[in-house]
Amino acid sequence: MSTETKPKAELYRRVDALWTLVRDQFAFLRRDPLAFAGMLVVAAFVFLGLFGPFLAPHDPIEHTVRSDTGSVLRLSAPSLDAFFGTTAFGKDVLSQFLAGARPTLIVGLFGGLGTGALGFTVGVVSGYYGGWVDELLMRLTDLTFSLPFMPMALLLLTFVTPNIWLITAIIAGFLWKMPARVVRSEVLSVRERTFVKSARASGASDLRTMLYHVAPNVLPIGFLYTAYGVAWAIAAQASLAFLGFGDPTMTSWGRMLRQVFASGNIRVAWWWVLPPAIGIAAITTSVFLIGRAYEEVINPEIQTDQ
Amino acid sequence: MTLLNVEDLKVTYATDDETIHAVNDVSFSIDEGVNYGLAGESGSGKSTVAEALLGLLPGNGTVERGTIEFNGTDLMSLSDAERRDILWEDIAYIPQSAMDSLDPVMSTGDQIAQAIHTHRNVTDAKARDRVKELFEIVGLDPDRIDEYPHEFSGGMRQRVTIAMALALEPDLIIADEPTTGLDVIVQDKIIDKILEIQERMDSSLLLITHEIGVIAETCDELSILYGGKVMEQGSVDNVLVNPTNPYTMGLKNSFPEIDESDDPVAIPGSPPNLSREPTACVFEDRCPFATDECGESHPELFDLPNRNHRSACHRVKEAAQLRRDAHDPETWNIPDDGDDDSDRGEVILETDDLEKHYEQSQTLLSKFRAEDPDYVKAVDGVSLSVRRSEVLGIAGESGCGKSTLGETMALLEDPTGGELSFDGESYEHYQNGNLQEFRRKAQIIFQDPFDSLNPRQTVRKIVGEPLTIHDYRTDETEQAIVETLEKVGLTPAEKFLDSYPHELSGGQRQRVAVAKALVLDPDFLICDEPASMLDVSLKVNLLNLLRGLADTEDIGIVYISHDLASLTQVSDRLAIMYLGRIIEEGDVDRVANRPSHPYTSSLLSAAPEKDPTADRARVLLEGEPPDPVDLPSGCAFAPRCPKAQESCWESEPAIDETGDETHRAACYFPDSDGEPAASAVDDPELPGSSNADSIGD
Amino acid sequence: MTKFQRFLLKRLAISVLLTLIAVSVIFVVLRLLPGSPFEALVTSGNLNQAQIDEIRAMYGLDEPMWKQYINYLGSLLTFQFGYSILRSQPVWEVLEPRLINSLILLVPALVTTAVLSSVLGMYAGWNRGSRLEKFSIVSTTLLRSTPVFITAIFFIIVFAYNLEIVPALGMRSIRATPDGYLETFVSLDFLHHYILPFTVAVLYYSGDFLLLARNGVVEKRGSEFLKLHRAKGLSEMEQLARAGRNSMLPILTYFTLRLGMIFQGLILLEVVFSWPGIGRELVLAIQQQDYPLVQAAVFIMALAVIIANLTADVLYAYFDPTVSTNGGGSA
Repeated sequence: MSTETKPKAELYRRVDALWTLVRDQFAFLRRDPLAFAGMLVVAAFVFLGLFGPFLAPHDPIEHTVRSDTGSVLRLSAPSLDAFFGTTAFGKDVLSQFLAGARPTLIVGLFGGLGTGALGFTVGVVSGYYGGWVDELLMRLTDLTFSLPFMPMALLLLTFVTPNIWLITAIIAGFLWKMPARVVRSEVLSVRERTFVKSARASGASDLRTMLYHVAPNVLPIGFLYTAYGVAWAIAAQASLAFLGFGDPTMTSWGRMLRQVFASGNIRVAWWWVLPPAIGIAAITTSVFLIGRAYEEVINPEIQTDQ
Repeated sequence: MTLLNVEDLKVTYATDDETIHAVNDVSFSIDEGVNYGLAGESGSGKSTVAEALLGLLPGNGTVERGTIEFNGTDLMSLSDAERRDILWEDIAYIPQSAMDSLDPVMSTGDQIAQAIHTHRNVTDAKARDRVKELFEIVGLDPDRIDEYPHEFSGGMRQRVTIAMALALEPDLIIADEPTTGLDVIVQDKIIDKILEIQERMDSSLLLITHEIGVIAETCDELSILYGGKVMEQGSVDNVLVNPTNPYTMGLKNSFPEIDESDDPVAIPGSPPNLSREPTACVFEDRCPFATDECGESHPELFDLPNRNHRSACHRVKEAAQLRRDAHDPETWNIPDDGDDDSDRGEVILETDDLEKHYEQSQTLLSKFRAEDPDYVKAVDGVSLSVRRSEVLGIAGESGCGKSTLGETMALLEDPTGGELSFDGESYEHYQNGNLQEFRRKAQIIFQDPFDSLNPRQTVRKIVGEPLTIHDYRTDETEQAIVETLEKVGLTPAEKFLDSYPHELSGGQRQRVAVAKALVLDPDFLICDEPASMLDVSLKVNLLNLLRGLADTEDIGIVYISHDLASLTQVSDRLAIMYLGRIIEEGDVDRVANRPSHPYTSSLLSAAPEKDPTADRARVLLEGEPPDPVDLPSGCAFAPRCPKAQESCWESEPAIDETGDETHRAACYFPDSDGEPAASAVDDPELPGSSNADSIGD
Repeated sequence: MTKFQRFLLKRLAISVLLTLIAVSVIFVVLRLLPGSPFEALVTSGNLNQAQIDEIRAMYGLDEPMWKQYINYLGSLLTFQFGYSILRSQPVWEVLEPRLINSLILLVPALVTTAVLSSVLGMYAGWNRGSRLEKFSIVSTTLLRSTPVFITAIFFIIVFAYNLEIVPALGMRSIRATPDGYLETFVSLDFLHHYILPFTVAVLYYSGDFLLLARNGVVEKRGSEFLKLHRAKGLSEMEQLARAGRNSMLPILTYFTLRLGMIFQGLILLEVVFSWPGIGRELVLAIQQQDYPLVQAAVFIMALAVIIANLTADVLYAYFDPTVSTNGGGSA
């Protein structure tokens, strides 16, 4: 092997190894039909989140649907003019539904990633170092546990004008405690395993041991809780929007539900309720189904049949 | 009369992508009052047979065919409820891992009483009385029946399961590796207890174990299993003294024994793949005597004329010749390196009065009062030295502090007292900024091969990591890795480089762990029970590898184990540890053959012999080691010592109390050299047997 | 002092400290963030300077910040919550009935779901791979992952509006004017209003308990001690009972933790059903910027969590014979 091809081959091998890792992580999808269905829903949702606003036939807020005679179509059932019907204000439900996927995606994705990353880091550091570092970080998680999420988020959002990134940050700031606790307890058991002791015996530094030996072995549980984080973030965002604390500049599914509920129309306008309600329920359930199937794969204690 | 008759039993396990043929047409029968042994290495199907008998196969296991007749009834034809009635009432079970076999949230007494209530209609008070009685029979304090499993030690928990097995006086007791994981002295006591009770109750015993020594001592008949097939069966005296099957010969060869001059010989290769039904002889690929015929079919069991002995081998008629050849290591393709005791080099590591005490956590109040905290004296004044090219064996029961000693020697734990010097420099020198130098020169190999490698790294990364850390041979990393892998016998190394640990067998993993330690060309190696979880043939391989390394690489090795037989094979010198102290130390031949300390004698005498004709004296030590926090004054062994006298309680003997440079012991009343070791110890259990002792020979 | 007592003392100290910190955080959020609520109150109303000063003095806002903090700590920790700005009523008089309304809805729901779902979960875990197991997991996953207000809306649409079996909103009919708690809660009218939110709460929490119990039993099913129980001849149900007993501890702990989070977890349920509980009151108070009420409600919620955490830890240590805090134990 010449010296020039070596880095290239190394690169290929790394890419290949990474691909194998990802493929292995998702191998369970093929065997679990529910998780597979969940994956399809997630894929459709990501597509909506990326392209939904462009697909929307009308502007979700500005455009008012009018009948042929020019009168505003309020609370109209699905028709050729508006496939999903209209709202009490004469807006197109389909357009709102398509556009409303994006904030849900943004908060879900970044809230989930933030939750996972923050929780994972805190969990690994806390579990690996132990002692006062652990004590401090765990008391901090206790504190975030005891501060009630919803009221605190509502309070913060009354003082500061809600915007989507602030909401994402608040959600991640409250949810990281979950993965942190689980990852920490996992690290506590990994830390006692022989190969970690063995790494120390061969002179590896703390940072090296943590990065190369401890972290990779708790990564699956980090993945899992990132997935759950996505679902929690979506649910939290929808709940906040439902209470009227969403980003006022963006249409979201939660906000659609708030409007239909606040306008007292859930009794009649099923076409207005169903799209956002089913959208939220489908995406959170799908993420959980995937997470559960994955949990089944990585939790050695419930793999008793092997 | 036949109690249990198993005919053509076949069991498979369904996994996600294949079917494992775990037990293939196994037949055997047990007569009333007979002790029957089922021997084999892991994966031989021996535990599966037990589970099939009891109807305890896991969900994916199926009995494909075969009959199991117990007392004339076919167990397979019974309904679940009928079968449950037979369980425990007639067939009781002593499980493998007593540590996990008891329900953690139910008191031990209740668990036994539950077995009684399930089958008998008795009052609570009666059941309780019976439980107390049972506790007494197995040697447990009857007042402890309300305690929970975690309050008992491993050996005591095994006694609880034995008590449970006895509760209804069953006809058959199935014991699945009842002593695995227990210390040799405890194991000896448990085996003795099982035999004593079973004698009294006149029940039959089916003993499943990988230790043919235990079977040789306790059983009348046995079957040897390999790859789910019976390789050889018959009376213990016939099979183990004159094996006619090459597998039995190999198994017997590879068992290390204390008083054996030949090095044990390992069977090369690895156990068969059971994902297909065997078409050839299951042992064919590892058998040095295999012929074309062996590749075509698995041999039927052949009845040897005129004795209780059957063997499944195509060449059974040439057995006598095979047996002679099997003694020669070259037959097994293992070069006979002879006993070249190479010269020992200069001292590489020395400890002087080394101590490692752990402080017990204190209450705030006693801290305030400035009371002295309690200490666990894990290592308490150990003075040893290791030379290059020398293997120093350290033996002791679990909890004696031998692992702590190993980790302190490796500076993974800070010594709390005494001196430790490595390569001429005090440990303080290394701790003050030169730790990396120490970490490069001294390596440690840990016990568990399944856990000592990072599951997310390839072999290349695992073995190469120390090179990166110490910037050693970094310009030729790949070459260094390959060289080292081949040195530990993983050839061709390229084949293993990109494997992950889970793709390797236990023996291979342990070799990778050894390679990781050797890749830095260390001067000193600590091995903490590296072979304790390996099957016997793999264990022998590893022992030979380490022995070879000491001889050729000029490395000083400390080998820590509870297994005296392995230790005597691998070591040049042997140190015996009890409660943090070395109580005897010297050249391995002297210590093993003429022990001075009574504790050493009892350890040696507790190891089972694989020769059923040898009769050995049991030295059953009373009690368990005392709490290392609150040691008695004087000799720590005195409370259990059969020879203890007044003076033993008054002051503690030093290590050089008796003996000379090459053999010393910490005892005021040593067994004098030359006299058979155990004879001085009275054995209350087996009167008159002390003259048949074989250790001093 | 036994190990257990020492452990208890340490946990207690931590809980007290946590309460102090949580209360301080609430103080910081309420007083120090830009656009402090009291400023908003003062600037929004058409009040003259004298009135403003009066109000400021009444709420102690003219004092220096540290003194306000001390006063605030003192009053919260002694349950002196002050006056609600909008309702002109002592805060506790506003909150007390609402707290009870919440408890009467949520505690029975939580207990019911903990018992039913755990039993179902254990049974499902024992019959792993069965249709019942798969169905129960999918349905409870759906219920626990869907935000509770969506489930509630669906239930209202189906049962209240379409089938018209139960009323959609409130805790009692408008005409009812009961006197005292007994009359309020022991009546058919109340029961009629109670069923729907109760059912939604039960279903919403079922998933966690079901999965916890199911995983516990699946895990125990392969264990060595269960094998020994089986060898002893215990029947399937007796074995399941032992497996269940061995999985009780995490369920119990989880129940306690959930109990602590009960007020904050179902705020949206109360909002959708217009249930006059503490959660709905809190949302209203935030919207109307009634801060004495807000800080009292948030404080009660935080305190509930801290107490529940403490209880869970203590229960765990007390009931698990293998946790060595209550003495004993060997290697």
